[in-house]
Amino acid sequence: MLNNMKNTLHPWVIKKIGRDWLEYVASNTMNVATEAFDPFIWTYDCKAKIVEVRQETADTKTFVLLPNQHFKQPLPGQHIELTVDIDNTGTPVARCYTLSEIQQDTVSITVKQNPDGKMSNWLHKYGREGMILDISSPRGQFVYRDQEKILFISAGSGITPCYSIYKAFETQINQPDVAFYYRSRTPDETIFRQQLEQTKNDNSVDISYSRHSEEEKTSYLPSQLIEAYPDIKERHIYLCGPEPFKNDVLSYLDDIGYDLNNLEVEHFAPLQATSQSVDSFTGEVSVLLKSKNIRFVIDAKDNDKTLLEAAEANGVQFEHGCRSGMCGTCRTNLVSGEVNGQQLGKSIYPCATYPASAELVIE
Amino acid sequence: MSHSSTSSEQNYDEIHQAFEDIKTKHRDDLGEKDIRYIKKIRRYSRIFEVIGRGLIWIMPGPLALIGVPFLFLHRNLEAIEIGHNVLHGQYDSFEGIPQFHSKKFRWKAPIDEAAWRQEHNGIHHVHTNVYEKDPDLNHGFLRTNAQVPHNKWHYFQVPIYLFFVYPAMLYNFNAQNLGANDKFRERRFPLGNKGYATFENTEELTEDAAKKRHQRAVWRVWAKEYGVFPLLALLTGSGFFKVFLANMLADVLNNYWIALTIQATHLTEPLQPEDALKSKGKWYVSQLDSSVNFKGTRKQSILWGHLNYQVEHHLYPDLPSHRYPDIAIEVQEVCKKYNLPYKTNKNWWQAISNYIGLLWRFSFKRSASVPLEPSFLEKEASNAK
Ligand code: FES
Repeated sequence: MLNNMKNTLHPWVIKKIGRDWLEYVASNTMNVATEAFDPFIWTYDCKAKIVEVRQETADTKTFVLLPNQHFKQPLPGQHIELTVDIDNTGTPVARCYTLSEIQQDTVSITVKQNPDGKMSNWLHKYGREGMILDISSPRGQFVYRDQEKILFISAGSGITPCYSIYKAFETQINQPDVAFYYRSRTPDETIFRQQLEQTKNDNSVDISYSRHSEEEKTSYLPSQLIEAYPDIKERHIYLCGPEPFKNDVLSYLDDIGYDLNNLEVEHFAPLQATSQSVDSFTGEVSVLLKSKNIRFVIDAKDNDKTLLEAAEANGVQFEHGCRSGMCGTCRTNLVSGEVNGQQLGKSIYPCATYPASAELVIE
Repeated sequence: MSHSSTSSEQNYDEIHQAFEDIKTKHRDDLGEKDIRYIKKIRRYSRIFEVIGRGLIWIMPGPLALIGVPFLFLHRNLEAIEIGHNVLHGQYDSFEGIPQFHSKKFRWKAPIDEAAWRQEHNGIHHVHTNVYEKDPDLNHGFLRTNAQVPHNKWHYFQVPIYLFFVYPAMLYNFNAQNLGANDKFRERRFPLGNKGYATFENTEELTEDAAKKRHQRAVWRVWAKEYGVFPLLALLTGSGFFKVFLANMLADVLNNYWIALTIQATHLTEPLQPEDALKSKGKWYVSQLDSSVNFKGTRKQSILWGHLNYQVEHHLYPDLPSHRYPDIAIEVQEVCKKYNLPYKTNKNWWQAISNYIGLLWRFSFKRSASVPLEPSFLEKEASNAK
């Protein structure tokens, strides 16, 4: 009964009080009792509760999530990382999912069941209303940047970030000129087909099928994009889909002389600790600052800079004082990855440490 | 074997190494013991809270005062032995106690944590006693050395602080850390902020954001002490004002206690050279030169948040405080060996009276003609010439 009560209470609380105030109240009333009473609200972690499960196609489900107060406001096109200890081994599995829809208080992920995908199978099998999941705050650079003419090119489940951006235009006053190209196998397997077809009249939406006998006549192959969109070179392109598809499109765009600076490609991989550490790391380092939900990349040539300096060079501020490892102000914890220099267990001193793995996740 | 002079650079390197060795030794030893310690203090704090609030609630009329010392103990442990030390990151490296990690911790005190960490850890602890850099030289508008330009407010600094600021000392910190004090001085002082450290706004907060943080930090304490608990008392047939006043008394005591503790642990003279930070050895020495300990037992030290081991705290701000009494012995040995200043007051009372004497001296204009006492580093440098 208590759980039912919480299920109705949580959406209400987040709606009425808002995440900002909720964070204020919860963080200041955190103790053993409150943590035990409601670990969804009284927690230090970003979590989300499944509030609805929808069947989209035979093998695709949409999960509507209600994140708690630690979640930052997402932008259409961004993704979250989901972490589940599937085998109860203490080493959880992490996967990224694009937010297919962003509502006032909830976000959705649309998951296609992949026969050998651990997480997608698990979600399809066990994902129920009321279940609480560990998620990350929204991430990703695949977001709309106020361009006037754009073209989405997507295939398979790569449609989700494109659809999410596309959908957000509905509520916008100044709508950009949008074209939507989507490649799917069959109409039945087409995620968001109905929604796309409804809006088809206003914008040019092309769905092309690779395994369908009566292909609609509007359907173009990825190698005919310029015929479908004669003004393609004036459009900003958002590209997302399986690797082979992306590669095909990329080389095609290159061939037709498209300016690749106008291209956004979504690639996400879950963050995994790189286990091997090296004495002096040479190569690009991608750093994620969890508390601020900021990601930046340290250039290979900046490897001799301390983490603090490298962050500043990227316009990211760390708390700091002495810059020489004495005062402890910059101290923070490493979630995954490796560094060289001043370290104390999981704690690192960014002003006196150097990155030593390609991925760093910092608290 | 004692060295007569510290002045050569090589000597400073040795000094640096000697202090680093102590740090490394204790870092390597961090573990279970420290986790147990901080959890124990939190447990005591809870027990005192229950007893304190319970007595205040049950006891009729003035007898409720019996609960005040307990409530004071709770608030005091939370504010300094737990809060101040945790916010230095002393417990950040231990897993399983996120409640004591500096960036997750919420203070049961009316002070915004992030702004505090920046000002206190990042500025005060780095530029200790540096003129126009260290905000703790002034805690508002105090004139604590001859270099600060005198104005008429300073004549009254002793009574103003003793009667008005210290009873609400913790409430003053947000004003210092989020910029309100600067505005006051700009408006009221003929030379504005000359002679004072100013808010650096490293987080680039807008004025509204700073105000919001300031208010939220205060209201979380007020809501609890002057809203929720008095109301609970009212609902259960006990007196609203009884609880309100008792809580207020504990609040004031706590503020006063902390004010006197922190004021008594820094000698505001001599001022330290700004470039001490360039050499780690010199930085250690400048920390020694600007902090002063006072004696107390282990238990008393907890009530002072181990700030009576100010010297050790300033050398190693992010080592768990309960280790300072042990560290002190090792630090004293190094100081003896290299002839370095290690300053101690006999007891709290002497520390306080010294400090108030100093405030009194500098409330007058003529003190401006008193020559500045040179820092140890400067003396050494001129000896070497
Ligand atoms: S900034 Fe002082 S330790 Fe890193």
